[in-house]
Amino acid sequence: MTIFTFALKRSFSNKTNLLFLTLFPIACIFFPKGEEWPFLPYGYQYFGIIILFIGIRLATIILEDRAKGLVKRLAVAPISHFQYLSQNLLAYSIILIVQCVLVVYGGVLFGQELYQPGWLLLLYISFSFSSLAMALAWISIYRNKDVSFLMYMAIIFIVVMLGGIIIPVEIFPDLLKRLAVIFPTYWLGQGINWVAFGEEILDFLLINGVLWLYTVVFMIIGSIRKIQ
Amino acid sequence: MTIATMQGVVKRYGSHVALDYINLNIHEGEIIGLLGPNGAGKTTLIQTLTGITPFERGKIEIFGDSKNPFSNQNKEKMGLVTQEITVLEELTAKENLQFFAGVYGLKGEEKKKRVEEALGFVGLGDKGGKMTTNFSGGMKRRLNIACALTHRPKFLIMDEPTVGIDPQSRNYILEAVKKLRENGTTILYTTHYMEEVQAIATKVVIMDQGQIIKEGTVEELIKTVQHEEKVRIDVTDIERIPVEALEKISGVKKISVSGNQLTIISAFGSGNLDRILTLVKEHAGVLEIQADKPNLEDVFLTLTGKQLRDKEEE
Repeated sequence: MTIFTFALKRSFSNKTNLLFLTLFPIACIFFPKGEEWPFLPYGYQYFGIIILFIGIRLATIILEDRAKGLVKRLAVAPISHFQYLSQNLLAYSIILIVQCVLVVYGGVLFGQELYQPGWLLLLYISFSFSSLAMALAWISIYRNKDVSFLMYMAIIFIVVMLGGIIIPVEIFPDLLKRLAVIFPTYWLGQGINWVAFGEEILDFLLINGVLWLYTVVFMIIGSIRKIQ
Repeated sequence: MTIATMQGVVKRYGSHVALDYINLNIHEGEIIGLLGPNGAGKTTLIQTLTGITPFERGKIEIFGDSKNPFSNQNKEKMGLVTQEITVLEELTAKENLQFFAGVYGLKGEEKKKRVEEALGFVGLGDKGGKMTTNFSGGMKRRLNIACALTHRPKFLIMDEPTVGIDPQSRNYILEAVKKLRENGTTILYTTHYMEEVQAIATKVVIMDQGQIIKEGTVEELIKTVQHEEKVRIDVTDIERIPVEALEKISGVKKISVSGNQLTIISAFGSGNLDRILTLVKEHAGVLEIQADKPNLEDVFLTLTGKQLRDKEEE
């Protein structure tokens, strides 16, 4: 489990990563609740954006490994590419899960009105996996981490705006409403609404199912690129 | 014992033939210097030999295993020093080595011992706890080599390990390579620097356009292009030298005079230097004698018609 151990170590060894992995999620706990929208406190709505950023920050480590030739070097070692990728992703997943637990549990302790914290945690975890997979697929296109990160920031902006995280989808024109469905952030927003209003459990399962579908598809795309 | 064999290996990238029926045998204890201009196919050869890049035709055998040459069992005995510095800059030198040692399955006390050993081997024994971001280029290169040594590979492949470093670090690395060979490691070493190959290689393989065009020891390769010997003699009174008499000495092909210098070209192995000098000394004082011998650069130039390095690279 060397790759796994070092993936954890490397994730926290960078100052910017430290901000994303610790300070920003903790800050989310303390944001107040909006008057009408969003239905959960602002921090819990915007935590989705932080998850997207964390996903790309973590996945960029794999991109760096590829660009530096480390993956090539590991290809000569008695370790498969699958082991390399799975141990890295396992480490990143654990980081993301711990953050989700921290944010939800922190909110409960702080007295935030989270309605159904257990379901919210499950939703965040599902969204974390899909954003990690999305980042993995994204970095598979690039060789340069700075270009990749900058372009992904633009993508995050679009996905967040059109996905209903910053502005409610309900106020969009019909075309944009239909378009919003293709973004994982739309399903996160729908999930948050479900947590606040507690409707049919099947709806919630569908939301999580879609997020997991994104995870599988993006994971396959991101895993195809191996060494170069 | 044969460590690695390539038989008729072909690799193409589209219509470009990167490896064109390569045959290569690497025997235990050798340091093979793989020379070639940019685009000759050196890196493809290394990537094919290590299993990074699949090949289309031919056979590769590693440690006598041609069925599954890139099995984990064989990989445990191989090491690769990449041209790129693959040091993890967010970690210390020791952590870097721990990472690679762990990847090769080393644990506990053994891992600790090997990490210290590898650090000491490349002269970074006192820098283990330092962050590698603060390392100089030469130190990073040395650490890059150490990363391939913790598991004590029997077969080490080094892809241009001295690119862009100072002469001191280069010498350190060359000495380390020689020491590795003394410890029983077989090495495949690619470089652009002829003098490095001349200093360490027990066998030289010259590649161009995806083919191995010549192989042998440095001496053997030089002999293949050694048809003439050139001697330059600086004398006191050039006008008193009997050029015609010198031309009559057996083996002498050509004599030219420039300033105070006589340049005498003879057939290789004619052994006439003694007679030439005796005759010159009878008529003038000898100030300096220089004998120009062909080197690997001449071999390379003769075989490929190219300089190994572009002038601006030098």
